[in-house]
Amino acid sequence: MTLSHALFAILASVTAISALGVVLSGSIVRAAVWLLFTLLGVSMLYFLLGAEFLGAAQLIVYVGGTLVLVIFGIMLTAQGPFSSLKTRPMEWVVGGALGAVLFALLVNAVWPIPDLQPGGAGTLPGTGPLGMGFLGIANNGAVAYLLPFEIVSVHLLVVLIGAAYLARAKRHQRTEGEA
Amino acid sequence: MTDLGLTPFLVLASFLFVCGVVCIATKRNAIGILMGVELVLNAANLNFVAFARFGPPSFRLEGQVFALMVIVLAAAEAAVALAIILNFYNNHSTVDVDRADELRG
Amino acid sequence: MLDFLLAVPGRLYVVATLLPLLAFTLLLLTGLMRRLSVGTPLHRILGGEQPRLLGALIVLAAMASSATIGVTNLQRFLADPAHATHDDAGLAARWSERMDWFRLGSLDTDPPPVFEKQRQENPHRKVPRTALALELGYRIDHLSAVLFAMVTVVGTLIVMFSIGYMKDERNAAVEDHEVEKQTPTVHHFHRRGRFGRFFLFLSLFCFSMLNLLIADNLFQIFVSWELVGLCSFFLIGFYYERPSASYAANKAFIMNRIGDAGFLVAIMIAWTSLGTLNIEEMKHRLRSPAADSHGKLDLAEQFVRVNLEDPIVDDSVKRYSLPAVDAEPGTHLALFPLAWEEADHFHGLGYKRSQDHGFEVPDVLTFTSYGAMPYWLFVAMGLGLFLGCVGKSAQMPLHTWLPDAMEGPTPVSALIHAATMVAAGVYLVGRCFALFAPEVLLVIAYTGAVTMFVAATIALVMTDIKRVLAYSTVSQLGLMMLALGVGGWVAGLLHLLTHAFFKALLFLGAGSVIHGCHHEQDLRKMGGLAKKMRTTALTMLVGVLAIAGTPFFSGWYSKDLVLQAALGFGLTHPQHIALIILPLLTAAMTAFYMFRLWFLAFAGAPRDHHVRDHAHESPLIMTLPLVILAAFSIGVAWGWPLWEVDHSLLAHALNHSAPSFLPTVYAHEYETAHHYHLAVGGAALLAAALGFGLAAIKYWKPRRAMVLGDIKPGTPANFLAKKWYFDELYDAVVLKPTVAIARFAGAFDKRPTEGTLAARRYDAATLDGWLNGLGDATLSAGRSLRRLQTGRLRSYILVLALTTAAMLAILTVLKT
Repeated sequence: MTLSHALFAILASVTAISALGVVLSGSIVRAAVWLLFTLLGVSMLYFLLGAEFLGAAQLIVYVGGTLVLVIFGIMLTAQGPFSSLKTRPMEWVVGGALGAVLFALLVNAVWPIPDLQPGGAGTLPGTGPLGMGFLGIANNGAVAYLLPFEIVSVHLLVVLIGAAYLARAKRHQRTEGEA
Repeated sequence: MTDLGLTPFLVLASFLFVCGVVCIATKRNAIGILMGVELVLNAANLNFVAFARFGPPSFRLEGQVFALMVIVLAAAEAAVALAIILNFYNNHSTVDVDRADELRG
Repeated sequence: MLDFLLAVPGRLYVVATLLPLLAFTLLLLTGLMRRLSVGTPLHRILGGEQPRLLGALIVLAAMASSATIGVTNLQRFLADPAHATHDDAGLAARWSERMDWFRLGSLDTDPPPVFEKQRQENPHRKVPRTALALELGYRIDHLSAVLFAMVTVVGTLIVMFSIGYMKDERNAAVEDHEVEKQTPTVHHFHRRGRFGRFFLFLSLFCFSMLNLLIADNLFQIFVSWELVGLCSFFLIGFYYERPSASYAANKAFIMNRIGDAGFLVAIMIAWTSLGTLNIEEMKHRLRSPAADSHGKLDLAEQFVRVNLEDPIVDDSVKRYSLPAVDAEPGTHLALFPLAWEEADHFHGLGYKRSQDHGFEVPDVLTFTSYGAMPYWLFVAMGLGLFLGCVGKSAQMPLHTWLPDAMEGPTPVSALIHAATMVAAGVYLVGRCFALFAPEVLLVIAYTGAVTMFVAATIALVMTDIKRVLAYSTVSQLGLMMLALGVGGWVAGLLHLLTHAFFKALLFLGAGSVIHGCHHEQDLRKMGGLAKKMRTTALTMLVGVLAIAGTPFFSGWYSKDLVLQAALGFGLTHPQHIALIILPLLTAAMTAFYMFRLWFLAFAGAPRDHHVRDHAHESPLIMTLPLVILAAFSIGVAWGWPLWEVDHSLLAHALNHSAPSFLPTVYAHEYETAHHYHLAVGGAALLAAALGFGLAAIKYWKPRRAMVLGDIKPGTPANFLAKKWYFDELYDAVVLKPTVAIARFAGAFDKRPTEGTLAARRYDAATLDGWLNGLGDATLSAGRSLRRLQTGRLRSYILVLALTTAAMLAILTVLKT
């Protein structure tokens, strides 16, 4: 059992248990916290795999951005007894069965896939080559990713404008005759 | 990192995926559904990076790029989803998705 | 534009046909606009509350232009040099055209089955390529040119007359006393004048009639046939608030329709067996060609009857053979190739047998023909065509609509029911003469003879001036049919022409009398009108003389020719002697009742003081057409020398377009007729004089009581007055059973408060039940399926995930 194995075991367990926690927890805030741990676990796994930039990005964007947004959402839509939104037992059964079946099928599909680089080929490209790639500068036969980068940037802009518009404060239209 | 292979990561990713799907299918709170979606996306990301690490050499950079794209898009989608949920909340005073059955036949 | 029209002079005929249609469209549009523009200034311009004269003038202008074109083109046609050189192709190029109105398939598609079998026998044979095609076309020959001129001229004169006759309809309010008389619940009936409507339908009628005349295929003729029937319906029912008028219109249309069913059957038979509806082409298929590649045939333009050979060797190839000389005639009719068949593949009778397959005929050569049609089918086609003519020309048994059609205004009776529409049936028989089997011609002759006789007997006792003329028309049409049936083609059509003129004259004269006597139509109330209505009396006298067959009047020429033809036929075939006796008797009766009409109306002392006080001559616009028609009635059939009936110019013109096989087929009849023609002329004159004498004795100075007295029931006179009880017969045999069947059929659909329970229950158990059940099943299925649409996001996602899992599972299973 090497260090990497042990680390993987710990991190995988943390992630898996947290994911299970997201599903099974009744209160939405608790679920958010479980989600936090899941995302943290995934980030650690990235670091384990050697994708440092990605791990950092995961932490910053996902944990620090998306999750915070989710928590804001929870706060804004909080109303008294929101914890009464419980799923009925029948739905648990169906969902559980579905989950089991899907898991079995996926594992069945995934199991035979071989490592194409047995033993690992060393580290993944670091932040440098990644960044250069995004800037459109291809080194050593690597492919450049300027176009996806630009697309995604514009996409973000558009989405944020859209989201801001969607979520703008509207005048109440309940009472007619108001100016 | 000699013996760690592809398969454990893929199995873990499948597990995360399944948890995400079950979360979407069972949660009544709209934000819960959003959380499920995040889980699914994370599972896919894990897949990408695992393949980048253990897959063909040409994929080593691409995998990370893909994963980064997914992170960005997930963030954008979360923003939009929350905007929709806020609208829904404004109209119905609740985030219970079972109340959104106006398309009932 | 003018070059286009003059390049093919026949196109001017098309223009002349379309001019009345143009007038019709104009009137229709202005009428519509008048209705839509109520309240605006336009409404008053277009006629408003009081109809305007302009519409009628437009129609008059259109008809006059058509008449001018018709007459000048007639002259141009007669002067065409191709007649002298017998240049048929040149004639056809200048005076006929065809176009495909609707064609399924190209000219290279497979020919109809009739030709297909022969083609399989000999692949090298050239087969006429046809496709399913409906054509529009016109073909001008002497017959149609002359008739065109007649219809347009008579039409123009009648339109002119109507402008004066229908003056009452130009008032803003018209009171119709007949409606009050016939419907007791209605008092003081008023309506807006309907001047424009009259000319609207009159122009449509003229267009359809002209189209009928110039058409060259049965389809176009049928369309015009129906259109004239429709216009007749509208015009008979012009005063539609009168129940009598509306019944008469229905009766006319329905009886015409019965005839049209026969016409349609004939068209269908022609289509399937001959593959074409073009009359010329049909003739070429049915009759043997005039010549083959070796010269003129002995049996040119005959029907060739053949037998189907037994046993049938190969199902797709039938063989036919000519019967032996004194054996029974064949069961099938041979159909011939078209005129453009390659000459060197054709042989005729009398030559040695060739290597060609086709007709296996012992010792004589084969025909390159294209199969055969069963002879009974051919006869059925002829009978179907004739049935159409029976309906349209009011022959027995479909004659009862014509006297009832007198409910329409008198100019309508003159144009439609005397000169033109009813002539369409005779015209069709004349046009399609080559398509009739000898059996059919015999049927035509007898139908005509019986109709002629019966109608004349009824006319003897009629008291309404228009009804006398109506039955006279039926009788004369019968005479025309008789003439055509016995082979007197020129005679029958000449009589059609002369009859058009003097019958129109008589009807318009009657209209003038009715107008002058303030809508009094009963002969018993007239008398002595000659003093007050000089022009009308004189012109009507001309018409009466013409119809009676007075020498040197136009009717004499045509009647003489008809009687000659009948005599020739009757003497050649002694079993048909009735075909001579009936026309002679009828000639006597015709003279009698026509002079009776004239004497009762114009001679003697007035019998009704009211009529006598208020009678007046009609205005010039009405008497001018009378004078013109009188001139035509005298001179239209003249020739030089005047006393030679055969030298009539019109008869000469018609002779040009007579079927060319007539001299050969009817050689014996014509010879007999020529031999005895003086005797016939004398007999006819004798009959006419007899009729005149009897009428003069009875009616010149009649006893009041005799004229005004009622006819006693049980006498022969009453039988005639009740029109041989035809209406009652049809009522009992046709109408009552039909109504009973309709009532029975209707019982199934009645609501719970009506009808029988049993019928409704049956219907509910079967048809209604099934249909409703189908509807209910669909609805409940829909309702069940609706439950899938919960509208809930989570169930949708669940289903989605389940489906994905299922697909994955299937793929996994399939992979292993």
